[in-house]
Amino acid sequence: MTKMKYVSMLLLCGALLLGACSGGGQGNKPAGNGGETAQPSNNGNAGGEDDSLSEVELIWYYGVSQVSPDQKLIEDEVNKIVKEKINATVKLRPVDFGSYTTKLNTASAAGEKFDLVWTANWAFNYDENVKKGAFIPLDELLEKHAPETKKAIPSFTWDATKYQGEIYAVPNYQTITSRYGVSLRKDLVDKYGFDTSSVKRLEDLEPFLKQVKENEKGIVPLMLTGPGTVFEPFMYGFDDSGVRIGDDTFQSNWLEQTPEYKSFVELMRGWFEKGYINDDASTVKQIDSIYNGKYATGLESAMKPGYEAEKKASNGGYDVIGIPLTEATTRRTSNITTLTAISRTSANPDRAMMLIELVNNDPELYNLLSFGIEGKHYEKVEDNTVKIGANAGYRAQNWVFGNVFNGYLVEGQAADTWEETKKLNESAFVQPTFGFAFDDTNVKAEYANVMAVKAEYQPLLMTGTVDPDKYLPEYLEKLRNAGAEKVQAELQKQLDAWVAENVKK
Amino acid sequence: METYANRRGGMVNIFFNAFFIVLSMLIVAPFILIVSVSLTDESALASFGYSFLPSRFSTLAYEYLLQTPMVILRAYGNTLFITLAGTLLSILLTSIIGYVISRRDYALRSPLTVFVFIPMMFSGGLVPFYILVTQYLHLKNSLWAIILPGLLSPFYVLIMKGFMGKIPYEIIESAKMDGAGEWRIFFRIILPLSTPALATLGLFIAFNYWNEWFNALLFIDDDRRVPLQLLLVRIMNTLDFLRNNSEYIQGLGIDMSQFPNESVRMALVVMVAGPMMFVFPFFQRYFVQGMTVGSLKG
Repeated sequence: MTKMKYVSMLLLCGALLLGACSGGGQGNKPAGNGGETAQPSNNGNAGGEDDSLSEVELIWYYGVSQVSPDQKLIEDEVNKIVKEKINATVKLRPVDFGSYTTKLNTASAAGEKFDLVWTANWAFNYDENVKKGAFIPLDELLEKHAPETKKAIPSFTWDATKYQGEIYAVPNYQTITSRYGVSLRKDLVDKYGFDTSSVKRLEDLEPFLKQVKENEKGIVPLMLTGPGTVFEPFMYGFDDSGVRIGDDTFQSNWLEQTPEYKSFVELMRGWFEKGYINDDASTVKQIDSIYNGKYATGLESAMKPGYEAEKKASNGGYDVIGIPLTEATTRRTSNITTLTAISRTSANPDRAMMLIELVNNDPELYNLLSFGIEGKHYEKVEDNTVKIGANAGYRAQNWVFGNVFNGYLVEGQAADTWEETKKLNESAFVQPTFGFAFDDTNVKAEYANVMAVKAEYQPLLMTGTVDPDKYLPEYLEKLRNAGAEKVQAELQKQLDAWVAENVKK
Repeated sequence: METYANRRGGMVNIFFNAFFIVLSMLIVAPFILIVSVSLTDESALASFGYSFLPSRFSTLAYEYLLQTPMVILRAYGNTLFITLAGTLLSILLTSIIGYVISRRDYALRSPLTVFVFIPMMFSGGLVPFYILVTQYLHLKNSLWAIILPGLLSPFYVLIMKGFMGKIPYEIIESAKMDGAGEWRIFFRIILPLSTPALATLGLFIAFNYWNEWFNALLFIDDDRRVPLQLLLVRIMNTLDFLRNNSEYIQGLGIDMSQFPNESVRMALVVMVAGPMMFVFPFFQRYFVQGMTVGSLKG
C-alpha cells in the first residue's frame, strides 16, 4: 500500500519534470515554424524584386534603459505600419543596457536566430563582433534596399563603420562630433563677474576657480571624476592615433611622453594642491547626489548643440555656460557609438535591410518606436517638440533605432537643435587618421597590460591626486615594462599600411 | 551555581560582549541604512546624503513601486514558484542520488561518485549551456530554464552522501530483515534521520534559487516571467554600466532622470531581500544542527 504511494509520488515528480520540458517545447514551436517558413521567402526574394513579398518575421534586439510595461502595445502598433509597408512582422526584443553585452554575446556565439541587432563601441562591441563574424557585410544590401539611408549619412561616417573595406552596420545618425571644453555655473560667473570670453585655454580658468574656492563654502571649484577626466589630444594638436595634426609623415607619438601631457598633468596637480579639485576625484565615477549641484566647473568632452539644457537637468537645475576649448572634431569613436547591424543568423537579410530603411525614413514609425503613442505616452507641445509623461508606460532611447534627425525633439531642446547638429556634423574637423582602427590581434597580451597600467595610473595623474614629479616617470616606466613600445611599433606599422592605402598624395 | 563564563571574571565577559555587540552592529548597520534611505525624501538625499535616520521621512518610494504592483507581484510569483518547485525537486533528487552512492553494498558506488564528481571540476562553458537550453530543451522564456540548471549540484550531493554515510548500516539491515522494501527504507527511515542535512541543504538551495538571476538574464525575454532578482539586477547593472561608460555615451545624452532614483532602488532592495530575512530565523535551528553534522556522532 504505502510502497505504491511512494512510487506514485516519484512518478508524479518525474511527470512534472517531463511536462515542464515538453511545455517549454510547445511554447517555442511557433517561433521555430516561423523560421522555417521564412526560408523559402528569402529565395523568392532573390528571384524577383517586384514580386509581392511573402510575410516574414524579423527579430530585433536593442538596448533600453529599462524595459517598459507597454512594450507589447508598441510592438502591435509598429507591426501595423511594418506589415503594410514591407509585409513583415517585427518582434521587438529590448534588453536593458546592463545585461545587453552579456546576453547578446552569448546569444550570438550560440548562433541564435535574430535579424536586426543594435551594436556600439561601448556595448556589445561592434569591432569585436565584426571580427568574430557576427554580422554580415551590408554594402550590396544598402545599395539595393536602403538608398535613402545611405544618402542621409555623410560618407566619413560610413568609413568609420568599415572593416577591411566593407560596411558591417548602419549608423544611427546623431551627433558625431566631439568638442572639448568646460561648463561653468552661470549664477557664480555672474556673481563674480568672470569674463568667460577670456578663457582660451584651461589655464585661464584659474581666477574663477580661485574666487569660488575663497568665497563659496561647500562648493567644489572644479569637479572631476576618475574615468571622466582624460588628456584630450586634440586640444594639444594631436589626433586620436597620436599623430600631430599637419604631420604628413603620420608619425604616431606616444602621448604620455609628450611635453603637452606633462604640462596638463602638472596643471591638474597644481589645482589639486590648491584645493580646487574635489579630494576624491580619482575614485568618483559619476557625479551623483553628493556633488549634484555643488560644483562650479566641470570638464566636458562632448559639447553639442543643446547640451546646456541637458546639463542643467543633471546638475541640480543650475544654468551653465559652456566654453568650448577646441573646434568640433569628428573621430572614429564618436561615429560608432550607436549602430544597427544584421546578424549572420538572419534568414531574411533583405527584409531586415528594408526595415532599417523604413525606420530611418518613416518619421511615424521612428517616433512610435522612440516616444510611444501620442496622447498616451507623450503630448505634443509644439509642431515638432514633445513632452514625455512623467509616468509614461513606454520609454526608449531614440538613438538606438535610427536617424534621430527624423524624430521629435524633447521639451527643452531648441527648435533648431537638429539643424545645428547637422551643420556641426558636416563642418566638423575630420581627423587625419579618421577611419583607422587599431587591431590589437598581434600584441594582445602587451595591449591588455598597457591598458591595465593606464587604468591604474590615469585617474590618479589626470585628477592631480598624486605628484607627477614622482609618479609620471613611474607611470612611463610601468608602461614600458608592460610593452608599450611594442604596441606603439605595431600601431605605427598598421598606420603606415593604412596611410599607404587611404591617403592620396 | 557559578557558571563557567562567570568564573572567567567580569572584564573578559565585558570584552566578549562588547566585541560581539560591535560585530553585530557592523552586520546590521547596512541593512538599517538601506531601509532608512528607502524611507528618505529624494531631495533630502541629494542635499544631505545618506543617514541612519531619514533626514526627511517619505514613503514616496514605496508608493512609486506599488503604483505598478503587477510588475513586482508577478516577479514575486515567479520567484516563489522557482524557489518552491526548485527546492523541492532539487532536495528530492539530491537525497536520492546521495543515498544511493552512500550505500556500502552498492556495487557501482565508486564509479557513480566519480561521475557525480566530474562536473564539479569541469563545466561545459556558457555557450554550449546556452545552446543546450535554447535549442535542444527549447526552454527559452520558460521558468524551467531557471529551475532545471540548478536542480542537482554535485557539491550538495557529496555533502548529502557524507551525511547519509554516517547513518549506521545496521539500521538499514534490520529494516530489511523486518521486511521493508528499498522505497520504504528511504522514505521512512533515511529521510527522517537526515532532517538536519535536508534542512541545511534545502536552505542553501532555496537561497540559490531565490537569488538566481543570471540564467534568467540569459533565457527570459518575456517581461511577465522575470524573477525578482533580475528586476533588481537590471536596474542596478544598467546604472553602473552607463556610469562606467560615461565617456562614450556623453554625446548620446541619456536622460538619467529616467532611472528610478536612489530611494526607489533601495525600496526595491528592501522588498526583494526582506522576506528572505524573515524566513531565515525559522531555519536557524536546523541550520545550527546541520553545521555540527559529522563532527560528534556516536
